[in-house]
Amino acid sequence: MRVKLFAAYALAALVLMAAAVLTAPHASYSRQDREAPFAAASRKHPAGTDALGRDRLARVAAALLLSLTGAAVASAATTAAAAGIGALAAFGKAHVGWTAMLICDVFLALPWLFLLMMVRSALPLTTSPASSAAITFLVLAALGWPACAQAVYRGARNLRNSEWMFHARAGGLRSAQMMRSVIPNLIPLLLPQFLVSIPAFVIAEANLGALGLGIGEPLPSWGGMLLELDNSATLFDTRWVYFPVALLITVLLLLEAAAGEA
Amino acid sequence: MSHAPLLRVNLKAGYSGRLVLRDIHFELEHGEVLGLVGGSGAGKSTLVLSLLGLLPWRGGRVTGEVLLEGDNLLAHSERKLRTVRGRRIALIPQSPMSALNPAISLQSHFNEAWRAHERHAGSALASRVHELLAEVQLPSDAEFLRRRPGQISVGQAQRVLIALALLHRPALIIADEPTSALDPVTQSQIIGLLRQLNRIHRTALFYVSHDLISVLQISDRIAVLDDGTIVENLPVSRIGEARHEATLSLLSTLPVPPDVLLNFRGRAALEAQPAALH
Repeated sequence: MRVKLFAAYALAALVLMAAAVLTAPHASYSRQDREAPFAAASRKHPAGTDALGRDRLARVAAALLLSLTGAAVASAATTAAAAGIGALAAFGKAHVGWTAMLICDVFLALPWLFLLMMVRSALPLTTSPASSAAITFLVLAALGWPACAQAVYRGARNLRNSEWMFHARAGGLRSAQMMRSVIPNLIPLLLPQFLVSIPAFVIAEANLGALGLGIGEPLPSWGGMLLELDNSATLFDTRWVYFPVALLITVLLLLEAAAGEA
Repeated sequence: MSHAPLLRVNLKAGYSGRLVLRDIHFELEHGEVLGLVGGSGAGKSTLVLSLLGLLPWRGGRVTGEVLLEGDNLLAHSERKLRTVRGRRIALIPQSPMSALNPAISLQSHFNEAWRAHERHAGSALASRVHELLAEVQLPSDAEFLRRRPGQISVGQAQRVLIALALLHRPALIIADEPTSALDPVTQSQIIGLLRQLNRIHRTALFYVSHDLISVLQISDRIAVLDDGTIVENLPVSRIGEARHEATLSLLSTLPVPPDVLLNFRGRAALEAQPAALH
């Protein structure tokens, strides 16, 4: 419990720090300092600059906010979809539930990395950075619901057979009333699903970015920053800069996992 | 005074080819308390589900008729049956703690049960809930109604369920082992309460239990269910005339002869009234 609280505070502090970095005067994740590409840490650029002379600190901060927001929105969407589909499958006729769970199994069996690459590569090259970010998270959300829907289905199925549902039915409650009475009981199931999906989406986005399939430039993403690592000469020169990015992702994921633990 | 019984039952029921209730035939008069005793597996729960038209939900099938004031419930669609459940026939379930939705307040339970059969809530509901909670000897202040089922005792939960059953002034209440999850003191308080409510409202009560002592305490008439049929059906005062071996073996489990219990019941009912307040 104490760990969870600490993690939640540390996560909030990280987000606040990122926001502070970005709102500081002259902070910009996209302005290029042509005089100083690959600069080391200085008073002006506390974490140095990248190949195009952009401030790394601002980019890391923006990437953190972008990936957290995107992952949270995607997770909310995927959890809501899973709740709807799972509840419908549990309370519908037997064949509805059966079909829904079959679709979930098919989705889970899909090689999602290839699918993501296919979807992403099907987009025209002129796609704007903002829509590339939106599409990346939308695709993640579209692929994330089945596991959650199955968990909701199992939970709702148990509720359907519970004593209090039987008593409600014996009291003549309408079908809509029965469905409504289930929702508060599903929250203990949905909340952890929502929270565990966020770090999963953050890491998925970083992996996609590292393949060059994530959020488009000039928007920063952690995966995109790590992409520069594929040039081993750069890697050798600037490892002191990339190590903190990898560390930050690890810390963020650990904090999210700890905060989300039910 | 009409002579048609409140309930006339004539049915067979079972699950996928296995007949559990072979031949059930009994009647229940207006305002009467009929106690049904039977061992585990005799088919008590199946009978309760059949009367409510809920056996299909548990994968069972029922044939025959359940005539409630001449109206055959088994011939009705699910849609029509829903309007009967809770309004004309109400259920007091077996395990009070698991029969209430753990995530919503007691007030919400009354709201939902009310809205199942009434269009408008408002002051009519508020005064009805107030009146019912007083009848089942529970506090009716806002603080109590805000509580969740997990925040009240088992005895209080059973009283809430009794109040919920009475909400729409049903003609018949089915009590399915309502005291089996309670401690002996609460058990006798609940039996006293049911008996008292039956006397005040003249609501007929179909009291199902495996516990002969509680059945003898509450019933006007007693029926014995054994192996899917009702083998004995007679007024409690004439329990000494029972001849079926299932009844006799039930009677042999009593710690004292039944007439001692019946004699004691008259006195207990008088004493139970002030003692039931707590």
